[in-house]
Amino acid sequence: MEEGLVERPAAPVPERRDLLTRILNLGLVGALAAAYGTFAAYAARFLYPAGPARRAWTYVARLDQIPAGKSLRWTAPTGQTINVTRLGAGIGAADFVALSSVCPHLGCQVHWEAHQDRYFCPCHNGTFDPEGKPTGGPPKEGNTPLPRYPLEVRGQLVFINVPTEALVVRPGRTQGA
Amino acid sequence: MSRIAAWLQERLPVSGADLRELTNEPVPNHLKRWWFALGGTPAYLFVVQIVTGILLAVYYQPSSTSAYQSVRYISEEAAYGWFIRSVHKWGATLMIAAVILHQMRVFFTGAYRKPREINWMVGMCILLCTLVLGFTGYSLVFEQLSYWGATVGANIAASVPLVGGPMKEMLLGGETYNEHTLPRFFVLHAAVLPVLLVLLIAIHIAIIRIQGVTEFHFEGDDEKTARGHFNFVPDHLMTELTLGLVLMVLLSVLATALPAHLGPQADPLSTPEVIKPEWFFYVAFRWLKLFSGTVAVLSTGFIVFVMFAWPFIDDWIRRHTRFNEASVWIGMFGVLAIVALTIWEAAVEH
Repeated sequence: MEEGLVERPAAPVPERRDLLTRILNLGLVGALAAAYGTFAAYAARFLYPAGPARRAWTYVARLDQIPAGKSLRWTAPTGQTINVTRLGAGIGAADFVALSSVCPHLGCQVHWEAHQDRYFCPCHNGTFDPEGKPTGGPPKEGNTPLPRYPLEVRGQLVFINVPTEALVVRPGRTQGA
Repeated sequence: MSRIAAWLQERLPVSGADLRELTNEPVPNHLKRWWFALGGTPAYLFVVQIVTGILLAVYYQPSSTSAYQSVRYISEEAAYGWFIRSVHKWGATLMIAAVILHQMRVFFTGAYRKPREINWMVGMCILLCTLVLGFTGYSLVFEQLSYWGATVGANIAASVPLVGGPMKEMLLGGETYNEHTLPRFFVLHAAVLPVLLVLLIAIHIAIIRIQGVTEFHFEGDDEKTARGHFNFVPDHLMTELTLGLVLMVLLSVLATALPAHLGPQADPLSTPEVIKPEWFFYVAFRWLKLFSGTVAVLSTGFIVFVMFAWPFIDDWIRRHTRFNEASVWIGMFGVLAIVALTIWEAAVEH
């Protein structure tokens, strides 16, 4: 009998314990992965911007202030210059185009060159015609026009949808100074 | 004295012999040639950057409303502020130059070949980390070119297919440059990237210690000197210290003669007529002007990938073709192309 008892360690009890240990270990690793994973997801979401930039429909001008074929240089509340051009004599939104001054290539500010009748981007020599169509440089290669702002005509009034928040820069030594 | 030594010995059981073993790896004789000390140069300059960077961070304010004013304060009012800022700027310039020269030395001597492929790739990570440090650092000044450089950089990131948009928003903390952008750059520049760089340099040096320095033999070396070694301490340490002194003199002279300039403040409403990044991005900037966005970005990514994988590509070329010295020619072509594109970008306005 004594010998029989000695042979018993081969019995299923330790095996069950092994399995239990393995399950517990797996559970521990799983729980740690879940905890760290959740935290990593929270951290990633924390770092990602909370929401899109705020925009609002903003009044620009009365219909009769922009004759057909003419442009109005309008300054948005954020300081951005927006060129609103009336393409035809109609009074629908399709007869107007509101052009952003941000180059679609790499985000620089284009400026109007009156003597060349074009918008010019100093970063990579992009050029656009008065309607914002690309005429030279990387924008022409990629066929990317100047971005347009959504525009609506409400009654006799022209509205465009523009961002309302801008980067606040404390007045200091700026270019002209 | 011996009681203090015994007290220490009881708590930190390290013998003098252990320390000598740790610090005194025998250095092959070819390291007496100065260009083999180029690896220690960026490491020394990195320490300069940490010290001057910590000092600058005392006064710097990473906010769009006050960043420029704080840099102006450092440059014009804080005692020796101009000097510390200038040393930081020139330290960055020299560090990038030294990393590139060190990488060229490793490349042209074939020191990346088996078994050192992994350390070459660690070195590539160090190069990229250094370049991103340069980019984020320059953005912090918040002068016109800082702002527009960051804007252009973020938009380049955006032209990567699929992940580009989210990458840009992650970098800027919004759709465009906004009040959350500068703090991000600051955290990257002053916390994340330096820690990453310290880890990378530690791995880089640990691998060198495990593998030993590549042994080179030059024509004209007699057998005895070619196979000889000298001690790291004090012989090579003295070389590095001399180099450290030379660099400190050089940095002081550059900082004094050509102090860091402060351009006009960032203005999100007007792009300067001539826009240029820092000199080490001239190559990439010219490349971007030659090709349209996505093509330029993808080809740049491909070139970086080839640089990473070069030890394996070189190995394949050497085993499957008879162009044993292909790497030298390809390397020379690469260096000439980089120099040519850099000079081109430097010479023209647009």
